[in-house]
Amino acid sequence: MVSVDITCDLMDEDESGYVWTFLREARDPSLIEPGAIVVAGDEDAPAVAEVVEIVDKPAGKVVHLRLLPGVIEDYQALVRRAITPA
Amino acid sequence: MAADAERQELRPNLRDEAAPDDGIVVVRGGPTSPEKILAHAQRTHDAFVLNGNPLWGISVFCALDDIGPASLDALLHRFASYRVVHLPRVGQLRKAGFDLLPTFKRPHFTVSLPSPDEVPRLLGALGSAEPNPYHGRRPGRR
Repeated sequence: MVSVDITCDLMDEDESGYVWTFLREARDPSLIEPGAIVVAGDEDAPAVAEVVEIVDKPAGKVVHLRLLPGVIEDYQALVRRAITPA
Repeated sequence: MAADAERQELRPNLRDEAAPDDGIVVVRGGPTSPEKILAHAQRTHDAFVLNGNPLWGISVFCALDDIGPASLDALLHRFASYRVVHLPRVGQLRKAGFDLLPTFKRPHFTVSLPSPDEVPRLLGALGSAEPNPYHGRRPGRR
C-alpha cells in the first residue's frame, strides 16, 4: 500500500494550470514546500509530483502540484536500479 | 469549512465553450466510490462558489479533439496514474441531470451536482470503470 504525502484529486486543476489541493490535506505539512518531490493523490491513484508553490486563497492555503510523468512504479524501479550494486 | 464569502468565485474562470453532447468522451479517473466523489465534491465546495452560491462538483476532462492535448489518447496518457478510468459521454451526464461547467483551462470541466445527495446518481452516470491502457505500460521499467 502506498502512503500519499498529500491527498488530492489528480484531476483538480485551477487557473494556475496545476493540480491544487489544500495544505491541510498533507499528512505532514512540513514536507510540503516549493521544490519538494511528493506522492500526491490517493491510495488508488498515487502520483509523483513536485510542489510548485503554496498560495493563500480565500478558503485557506492551497498547494499547487506539477504531476511528473509516468506512474509511481517507474520511480520505484529507478531507485532500485540506482541503489543496486552492479 | 469556509463561509461562502471566504471562497473563490468561479465565474471569472468559466470559458466560453460548451461540450457538445454527441460522442464526446468524458475522462474521470477511477476507481471511484460514493465516498471518494463526495470527498472531491466537498473540496470543490470548500474552495469555490459560482455566482456567490455554493458549488458541489468534481473535475473531469473532455476529449474535445481528435489529436493533441485534448484528445482521448493524450488524456489517458496524461492520467496514467489511474489504472482504471470512467469514460461516459457528455450526453449521458447531461441526460442524468448533471451540468458540465467549462472551468479553467481547456479541456477541464467541472461536473456540478445540485447537492451532495446526488453523489450516488453521479456515480451511476459515470458508468463502469475501464482499464487505462497507459497505466503500467512504460518503456524502460524492469
